[in-house]
Amino acid sequence: MSDQVDSVQLMPDIRLPAEAKYKNELDALAAHDDKPRPPGWALSPRAVEMYILGSPKPVGGVAITPKYVGDKGLIQVCIATLASDRALMLVGEPGTAKSWLSEHLSAAVSGTSALVVQGTAGTSEDHIKYSWNYALLLAQGPTPEALVPSPILRAMRTGKFARFEEVTRTSPEIQDSLISILSEKQVSVPELGEVTSAQRGFNLIATANTRDRGVNEMSAALKRRFNFVTVPVVEDLEQEIQIVTKREAELRTDYQVGVPPPEELSRVLLTLFHELRKGVTKDGKTKVRTPGAVLSTAEAISVLFNSSILAQQFGSGTVTSQELAASLVGAVVKEQEDDVKALREYMETVAKSRTGPWKELYTASKKLLRG
Amino acid sequence: MDLALLSRVQHFPVRHHSPRTTAVLLKWLERVKPTVVLVEGPCDATGLVDVLCDAQTRPPVAILGYRTDGTPSSSLWPFAAYSPEYQALKWARANGARAEFIDIPVGVSLAVDRAPPGLGVESESESMEGSTPVPDEAVPLTEAFARSQGHRSFEEFWEAAFEAPDWSPEQFRPVLIAWADVVNAGPRSAYHRQRDAFMARKVLEVVASGVAPEKVAVVAGAAHTAAFLAGDVDPKEEAKLPPPGPCAVTVIPYSFPRLAEQLGYGAGNRAPHFYQKAHEANCDFRRATLEVLLDFAAHLRMRGFSASLSDVLEAYRLAVTLSDLREKSAPGLDELREATVATLCRGDATHVDSFLWKSVVGHEVGQVASRIGQNSLQAEFWREVGERRLPRTDSPETFSLRLNNPVEVGSSVFLHRLRVAGIPYASLSGTGSSRKGGEAEAGGYAALTRVREAWQAQWTPSTDVALVEKIVLGDSLEAVTTRVLQERLTQAKTTAQAADVLLESVITGCSQTVVQALKVCDAHAATDADLPSLASAARALSGLMAYGTSRAHSDVGDEAVASLGEKTFGRALLRVRDASACGPDAVAQVLDALRTLHEVALSQPRADKAGWFVEARGLMESHAVNPATSGLATGLLYLARELPEAEVALEVGRRLSQAVDPADAAAYLEGFLQVNALVLVKSRDVVKALDDFLVSVEPERFRQTLPVLRRALGSLGATERRYLMENVMGVRQLKDKGRAVKAVLEEKDKATLKDLSADLGKALDDLDDLL
Repeated sequence: MSDQVDSVQLMPDIRLPAEAKYKNELDALAAHDDKPRPPGWALSPRAVEMYILGSPKPVGGVAITPKYVGDKGLIQVCIATLASDRALMLVGEPGTAKSWLSEHLSAAVSGTSALVVQGTAGTSEDHIKYSWNYALLLAQGPTPEALVPSPILRAMRTGKFARFEEVTRTSPEIQDSLISILSEKQVSVPELGEVTSAQRGFNLIATANTRDRGVNEMSAALKRRFNFVTVPVVEDLEQEIQIVTKREAELRTDYQVGVPPPEELSRVLLTLFHELRKGVTKDGKTKVRTPGAVLSTAEAISVLFNSSILAQQFGSGTVTSQELAASLVGAVVKEQEDDVKALREYMETVAKSRTGPWKELYTASKKLLRG
Repeated sequence: MDLALLSRVQHFPVRHHSPRTTAVLLKWLERVKPTVVLVEGPCDATGLVDVLCDAQTRPPVAILGYRTDGTPSSSLWPFAAYSPEYQALKWARANGARAEFIDIPVGVSLAVDRAPPGLGVESESESMEGSTPVPDEAVPLTEAFARSQGHRSFEEFWEAAFEAPDWSPEQFRPVLIAWADVVNAGPRSAYHRQRDAFMARKVLEVVASGVAPEKVAVVAGAAHTAAFLAGDVDPKEEAKLPPPGPCAVTVIPYSFPRLAEQLGYGAGNRAPHFYQKAHEANCDFRRATLEVLLDFAAHLRMRGFSASLSDVLEAYRLAVTLSDLREKSAPGLDELREATVATLCRGDATHVDSFLWKSVVGHEVGQVASRIGQNSLQAEFWREVGERRLPRTDSPETFSLRLNNPVEVGSSVFLHRLRVAGIPYASLSGTGSSRKGGEAEAGGYAALTRVREAWQAQWTPSTDVALVEKIVLGDSLEAVTTRVLQERLTQAKTTAQAADVLLESVITGCSQTVVQALKVCDAHAATDADLPSLASAARALSGLMAYGTSRAHSDVGDEAVASLGEKTFGRALLRVRDASACGPDAVAQVLDALRTLHEVALSQPRADKAGWFVEARGLMESHAVNPATSGLATGLLYLARELPEAEVALEVGRRLSQAVDPADAAAYLEGFLQVNALVLVKSRDVVKALDDFLVSVEPERFRQTLPVLRRALGSLGATERRYLMENVMGVRQLKDKGRAVKAVLEEKDKATLKDLSADLGKALDDLDDLL
């Protein structure tokens, strides 16, 4: 427990973890939660749902803001899964708020979202189970003090949720070390001759993005230990505008930089993202080439945030199409030449014929996209 | 009308096809023990209660009401085993009570002027629709109410609020009536109010006949019941109903997929199989969920996916946890679906929504007791389907027939008869070979030449509806088909149409119409001046001579067909010259006809081959006819080896010479190249004539003739172009460049192609110019 508190305190202010940032909401929900809580849970499933989706009425005088905008059923499946003995696997396109969701679920249920393993090609079994403090190990031999528990082991000991980001980036052999943890709920440390069993309240939330599927496909045995929830790309334009505007404003507060972009421009940006993603314009009349880059909600947030900084630092102080175009090109055109073409084509066929900010965006981007 | 008396009668409000309503209703009937059970349903179908309750009848079945005056109009009243109306009838039978339908007769409901009388579903859902006040509205009241309660659809709300909880009759009746009152608050449609009045009169008549009102049970849609109890019935409304049309009623099998098609308040059956399971489990929706999940898993395993028992357990647990989280007393379809996606399908909803979902819908087809209800057409259909082992489920199945054994020829005749008679059941999906011909023609000439037929068949209630309706045309399938073909024959205006009917008669084995069609063909051919029509008739007859008579089973014999074929061909030849003198608009049809005649002349020994060649030569030489026909005739004659190569070259040279109008020359070319172009462009002399022509055309004229030229040369394929090129280069002595071009043509690797020298690039440009 103590090391979590440390980690929270050590965390620089630039980005607070969910449990710290929304502490007042979580406290209020806990204080007014009269529903039964599963063992080890800080809140009842209903209260967790309310924390994630927000509440129209304030609870105990505290407004509960929505953390995730979308299908209620999806969140309920997540919560119901976490209350069972199966782990939760969130899958979806990059930038669909999988990690965001996993952070908030952990924060609401366990009071901490800090027990994270980031899956990479270099993730080893040590990161999943435990490793050693080698100085101590050499000095004293294998002792409990010399053991460095992994975030997952710490979660098991304290009955909290552990998070495993991007499982499919890890090699299959390493992934499979999760199987025994998830089915037996224990980790044995043969060097110490002891077995650590998970306390009640332990579970695992993993994320995997669908673009990486097939790089390291999970084994059937491991899949069986998870319930899968697909986090969809936001289909509804208005909903996405709402998400992007809100998150971008939060970022500006967190980093204390940037100026608020006009609503009109957010709409232009999201419309452009929607149309490029779908490969057809809103009215369904014009076909558009789809670029290879990922056009996620997260990407839109970053483009908007980026242009607001540009405007404040290098521009006139208000966000214009100029800044938007500059940030946009960097986001859409990531690695492939073809994406330049796709964007240029879009500007020529769609943006050019529209009015208002579209026209300005077209002019601004024309210079940037040349060559 | 004594409305006070009406409210003393025992009323039970129902939602159609609701298993919970059924369960509560049966408990209620046990308690009330009525001697008369009156059910919402067409009153002239009361005679069919025996059939419905017969031990051999297995729902889903439907009452079919249809017009008997030839106007195609019908309506369906379907029942599942879990429909409260059906169980009310069954209860009455088992307990010695009288059971009657009390709604307006079929004839009246068919006569009510409504939106296009769709087959069954549309009209049914309205007649069964208790209380959707404005069905066309974008978001109906019921839907809006469900959403305000935090549900995603009305169906979800209904399941959570009405189906899942274990109601007692005392609680259920007032709740459902209160709900109906809420929905009735809006203006009710005049049609529903008229039916209220009619039903109320029927109920009171029963009471007047001496039955104590306490012993009369009325089982009707909640909206009607609410109106009865509120006394909101205006007897004058009844008079506004239209007079009944002539009609009849029967019972036909129905199926789960059709039941699932009817959404909205009235039917509300998104998953009949699931509800059936719930009904069988005494409305234990948890058990139904588990059973359906087990079915799912078995289905997944069958399709090669992994689906273990532990997954099923987890899915079940998740569904139950979800329903707890949503404060429902048992899982409904939404929980079932979400749990299945998260566990068995690993987050991938496509499996569930594309094929797996069908298993909650089910594909069961009901069965009607054999002693009544089937007319001779239905009997014949079901007998044939049984004997021939054809598909009898409500899901599409494919199979193929080999037309070299008599049994399968019989099946083919049967299926073609259904097709011609317009009874929806099977459709031809091709010859079963890998050849892709797009939409293959089901009948006609194409059918004669087939040795295999691939079919796709699916029984739907509309099959039986059609069988019932077609009885007016005849009492056997052959009689109906004959009648349909005869009508087509009387309407036939041209020889081709008559010949089509002839072919259909042969394919469907209708010997009577074979004879008549032959006569009509003959009569038309004598006066028909239309070459395309005659040619197509000649082809049909020729096909019949070649393949078809073995299937005709007619006593006219081969000779009649053959002599008519000969005559028709002869008549067609007589029209060739006149027809060929046509403008550019009509020429395409004429060209087709000429090719058909050529085909017949070469393939049919009885056709006047020599006569055709004379005509063709005439066309070739004539300058009065459309040049395209001359070109075609030249090509055809050359192809048939009636014209030596030198003569063709000469002829083509003449036709393309400078003296001829370039537009005519181009048209000639178009006709000429329509014939097997490969053979033509292989001839050096022909190509030379072409080349000379193209080079000599004046630029201005060239531009004018370009469209026609493009059309003519555009039809050439890759191989033909290559031969043309080689010959052009031969003629122009472009040998060296030719070799270089050949290297380019044969070079497959793009990279190497790029590396080829600029010289070759130039050769390519030349090539482009030439093409």
